[in-house]
Amino acid sequence: MKASRSILAACAASLVVLAGCHEPVSVTVYEPGVYKGAADPLLKMHASAEHKETLKERFATGQADR
Amino acid sequence: MARMKFLCDSERCIECNGCVTACKNEHEVPWGVNRRRVVTLDDGVPGEKSISVACMHCTDAPCAAVCPVDCFYTTDDGIVLHDKDLCIGCGYCFYACPFGAPQYPQKEAFGVRGKMDKCTFCAGGPGADNSEAERTKYGKNRIAEGKLPLCAEMCSTKALLAGDGDQVADIYRERVMKRSGRPQTWGWDKAYQEDV
Repeated sequence: MKASRSILAACAASLVVLAGCHEPVSVTVYEPGVYKGAADPLLKMHASAEHKETLKERFATGQADR
Repeated sequence: MARMKFLCDSERCIECNGCVTACKNEHEVPWGVNRRRVVTLDDGVPGEKSISVACMHCTDAPCAAVCPVDCFYTTDDGIVLHDKDLCIGCGYCFYACPFGAPQYPQKEAFGVRGKMDKCTFCAGGPGADNSEAERTKYGKNRIAEGKLPLCAEMCSTKALLAGDGDQVADIYRERVMKRSGRPQTWGWDKAYQEDV
């Protein structure tokens, strides 16, 4: 009885220890010329005409020669 | 379609390194990494010329062409950005880049390369704009705020220009017309000398 308890305790302890070794595996499979990283919300904003106009105005006011 | 470009007017650059400092300060770039540098030709000799160099956001970027994990992407306006989570720090982009833009922080022992770091045209990287994660990895995202790169915006002599390539070209063209000629610092004479 005592031996089975200690075996159970050892099993439980080893389960806890092994759980610490777990690593989530998510492999990004490479394909030539294809970007598979995270999405950038700037791309959508940067494509809008309004944002482009804002940057143009910013350039004209800040960097143009006096 | 507009393309975002840098241009440094060598006739105006006074090698103050203000652009370098502004970049490091704005993006909290770690020690050992310089996203922007000032290069001087004939330093100390009368007539020396300086230009400020960073990632030039090439139209057909060689860094992107050689990247084995394709961590580069280009915005609609031609800004070349990369994902540090995909980068494996192989260094191919460093060898491919003609401007020496890609940099690697050395945080580990035995010279192990970290994730590549380079000028982002103040446009950050993947992930939510100006989030803590983006700021930590790539620095501030000024483009998302409707601003242009700080290095150019704070240039005291307006040597460094950053913005829509057409606007940049117009300003430089006007300057060249006023000077009646362009400097040959990086022109034909410098490359091929007088006897060609």
